[in-house]
Amino acid sequence: MGGLARRVSYIKAFKNRSNTEVPTLLVDAGNLFSDDRFNATQLPAEVMTKNKWVVKGYGDFHHDAANISYLDLPYVGELLKKDGLDQRLDEYPFINRLVSANIHPLDDQHREPLPYVIREVTLKRGAPGQKVRVGIVGFSEAKPVGPNSFETSYAGFRIDDPFEAAKRVLPELKQKTDFIIALAYMDVGSAQRLASDNSEIDTVIGARQLSNMDDAQHFNRAAVAFAYNQTKYLGEMRVYFKGDGKPENQISRLIALDSNIPDDPFALETVTTAHSEFTNAQNASAQTAAIAHKPDALLSASDSPFAGVETCAGCHEKEYQIWTQSRHAHAMATLERKSQQFDNECVRCHVVGFQRGGFQSQLTTPQFANVQCEECHGPGKQHASNPSKGYGAVATPGACIQCHKQPNDPDFVFAVYWPKIQH
Amino acid sequence: MRGELREKLINLEVALRRKISLVVIVTFIAALAVVNNGCSHSGNPDVSGDDSVSFDVNDPKIKERLGEDDGYALAIMYGADIHGSLETCG
Repeated sequence: MGGLARRVSYIKAFKNRSNTEVPTLLVDAGNLFSDDRFNATQLPAEVMTKNKWVVKGYGDFHHDAANISYLDLPYVGELLKKDGLDQRLDEYPFINRLVSANIHPLDDQHREPLPYVIREVTLKRGAPGQKVRVGIVGFSEAKPVGPNSFETSYAGFRIDDPFEAAKRVLPELKQKTDFIIALAYMDVGSAQRLASDNSEIDTVIGARQLSNMDDAQHFNRAAVAFAYNQTKYLGEMRVYFKGDGKPENQISRLIALDSNIPDDPFALETVTTAHSEFTNAQNASAQTAAIAHKPDALLSASDSPFAGVETCAGCHEKEYQIWTQSRHAHAMATLERKSQQFDNECVRCHVVGFQRGGFQSQLTTPQFANVQCEECHGPGKQHASNPSKGYGAVATPGACIQCHKQPNDPDFVFAVYWPKIQH
Repeated sequence: MRGELREKLINLEVALRRKISLVVIVTFIAALAVVNNGCSHSGNPDVSGDDSVSFDVNDPKIKERLGEDDGYALAIMYGADIHGSLETCG
């Protein structure tokens, strides 16, 4: 589900269906860059590569704006460094479409993010010929660090109160535009409050959608809709205009980007090249780590607290046979079919003990590929060397939901899935 | 003598006219190139292709996804949380 190539393909089909009569904007509500630093203080080379391709891909495939969320700040800090900024802007013009009205650098080595961008479109329906200036502004909540607790300084940036920032920026933007879209990386209630507190806003696009909630809600004259996690479903807000050029109504939908939507060949080429570069960078990192044999990497089998499925099979043959027939035993193949076997974002739920002393990479720890016994039952090397009762109890369904969570597996129902692996 | 001078002047005029024509044609082609491509190229060639689609938009499965064209005048497509991945895990 999802992916840039299907997203682009759907949008082209959408434009084609309406004979390109309908101006179509494409926006992202935030968390577009990976902030996965593992144990390091800086983003590793492979994560930098991934993020670079997002900036390039979003620019090449005509995204109009993206909101900077707190999660994006480690990489945005790299993009907005004043040193070399002109060269980066020339290479990746999309940097100037990353917006935030409430995020500011803590030092003078970084440029301020733009609070908003303005796009002008010409209507061909409703009020044909009418030019509409659309302002797209970004807001993010601060970084949550506990229940009702937030960190307002993160990765070299200060995250101000988004509601105060809205009161400051929106009247100015209203002067310059006819229609305002607010991108809001915050919880549902806060996104709704943003709309209800600020009558200047026409549309709020929130993030962190965890279930199908298709219909836009309305506050003041604003429609509030939420993007689906990982954009597996593409959000589509249709805006209807009256003859006088004023917006009349807005209706939102979420479109499943499944295999019924073919990949756009141009976008697919970008995704494939990105994969290739990312894979090379990750393999290089894995080799460096293997050579350095970092103590926290636990790269060799002898260092690992995990025993591996073949060891388990020595005593638990019946359970092993059930496992071999399950999808858990072929989890890595699922990723390989999509060339995602090197992407840690995906790998973590397709192996045993990722970043816990088990799987590191296909290159260094292939014996821990696939979802093996110890992923649920816990590290078993000690148990294997001295078998005794008391090892391996699993708290279900909580343990399953670590990976079979709503955004990854919206169809997961424990009572339906458990019989498939019951042992 | 006078006839020779006249012939030289005519040749000069023809050559001048050819040069002016050439300048006009080159200027016209250059102007066309600017109009079509813009004065300042960003350095990023357009890799997105045009808006044409390589599949049948009337395929029932695609039509079902597109829904009805009910007169909307502007569309906002939106997403979030790709977290560094242009492709999802599966």
